Amino acid sequence: MSVTTEQSASFGGVQARAETAMNAPRIAIRNLDFFYGSNRALKSINLDFPDRQVTGMIGPSGCGKSTLLRVLNRMYDLYPGQRATGEVMMDGVNLIDAGIDLNSLRARIGMVFQKPTPFPMTIYENIAFGVKLHERLSRSAMDERIEWSLTRAALWGEVKDRLHSSAMGLSGGQQQRLCIARTIAVRPEVILFDEPTSALDPISTLKIEELIDELKHDFTIAIVTHNMQQAARCADQVAFFYLGEMVEVAPAAQIFTAPREKRTQEYVTGRFG
Amino acid sequence: MSATTAAPALPGSIPGPAKDARVARQLSGRRQRTNRIVKVLCIAATVIGLAFLASILATLLWRGLGGLSLTVFTTSTLPPGSQGGLLNAIIGSLIQTALGAAIGTPIGLLVGTYLAEYSRGSALGNAVRFVSDVLLSAPSILIGLFVYQLLVAPFGGFSGIAGCIALAVIVIPIVVRTTEDMLRLIPVSLREAAVALGTPQWKVIVMICYRAAKDGIVTGILLAVARVAGETAPLLFTSLGNLNWSLSLTKPMASLPVTIYQYAGSAFEDWVQLAWVGALLITAGVLAINIIARVALRGGK
Repeated sequence: MSVTTEQSASFGGVQARAETAMNAPRIAIRNLDFFYGSNRALKSINLDFPDRQVTGMIGPSGCGKSTLLRVLNRMYDLYPGQRATGEVMMDGVNLIDAGIDLNSLRARIGMVFQKPTPFPMTIYENIAFGVKLHERLSRSAMDERIEWSLTRAALWGEVKDRLHSSAMGLSGGQQQRLCIARTIAVRPEVILFDEPTSALDPISTLKIEELIDELKHDFTIAIVTHNMQQAARCADQVAFFYLGEMVEVAPAAQIFTAPREKRTQEYVTGRFG
Repeated sequence: MSATTAAPALPGSIPGPAKDARVARQLSGRRQRTNRIVKVLCIAATVIGLAFLASILATLLWRGLGGLSLTVFTTSTLPPGSQGGLLNAIIGSLIQTALGAAIGTPIGLLVGTYLAEYSRGSALGNAVRFVSDVLLSAPSILIGLFVYQLLVAPFGGFSGIAGCIALAVIVIPIVVRTTEDMLRLIPVSLREAAVALGTPQWKVIVMICYRAAKDGIVTGILLAVARVAGETAPLLFTSLGNLNWSLSLTKPMASLPVTIYQYAGSAFEDWVQLAWVGALLITAGVLAINIIARVALRGGK
């Protein structure tokens, strides 16, 4: 019980989330295994990503949480020797089937990376780049889309007067919000965040967290983080990974205050990992 | 050194601070002596290198500037003693260098792109990389002989186009190497970010990687141009040189390096003078290409 009180205190604000009911799953993972060569990095994962809610994934380095994220948009296809088996169901289709069109899959499942990765072009072109891959828009429709995505990414006010200057001149936090704008401009259904704030200062981190909270009204979100306060603040449900297994998944408040598994409790209280 | 770090953990059983200080002084003194010696050697090497370069440039300016006049640019090469210029050689060099680069650059770019983006350690990729590296260090006279066998002997005559091809063969491996190196320097994260938007591989390469690597790739191309602008050996067996005015690619064509080679060894004073002027022109041209490229690339940022 003492642990529970400590956690309620240090993860303040979590209680509200505890009331959240889980929506129907947007993506359902069943018996997923993943291999780097002969090394089995994910072991029989079962996990649902509820529609338009935030699923946080935590665990020590090398536990497989980023690997799982890279399965969802088939990023691993870039590297020979990496393969997945099992089911990742979205709209009745198994996303890891060989026949899937990867480019349209990635248009539906966007990804934001650990380090900001602006393309070497203007702010406007950075966002238009992804949109042009999948849609043919008139000049004015494109302008509108760019304003919309930058506004949703809480960046419009800061860049509206310099849309046609290079994106490389933005600060790290602005670059990361540009990457988020670039991702949502394609209008995906799911957004994957791979430690999106680990390279950012606290103020930029706060902005991105607020943004995630805002974005979940329209997008299903999965976020990998090493920061447990972040998981507590952002996520509706949290999954704890350890050594390639998914140990436990539960509403955020429960994971941090009353986890079922001893390993989860030890990790979230900082006793290992 | 370990005694110093272990000191707090083992009080009493370690040498006292006085002895440590003496050892530290000795070590520090030795490091400083080594530092001074290496520094002097480095500076000496730099001075020797720069001195040679400065002396070459000074001689070139001293001997070349004296013969520089408008007739050099307005008159073709003429017999000794008749006030000839270098017009045909200058134009021939420009044509052959430009065409050689125009033929060699796209091939080099594509091969470099294949090696960096598609071959992924395949046997074919490794073989291509090895052959390209061998070609990079092949003596240029061999390339001249190769093109002679391929394009001169079977067609019964020296030609400007054979010279262009020989220069292109020199351009290719230089562009291959710099293109591959520059594309490999692009962080994986940038490629993954493009792929994650649903970008097909060719668009990742053309629209993201080429843009990110632009400066380095352009520098490589200019290096190749500068290199072939001064090549003599591959042209001796291909475009041969031509003392008359000719723009035909199917006939022998003059070039600055070959003219320098012919004139510098001649017994006529005015020809030797023109050879110096030609050498000065090539050097100035290569220098200008480098400066323009640097300024242009910096301006683009």
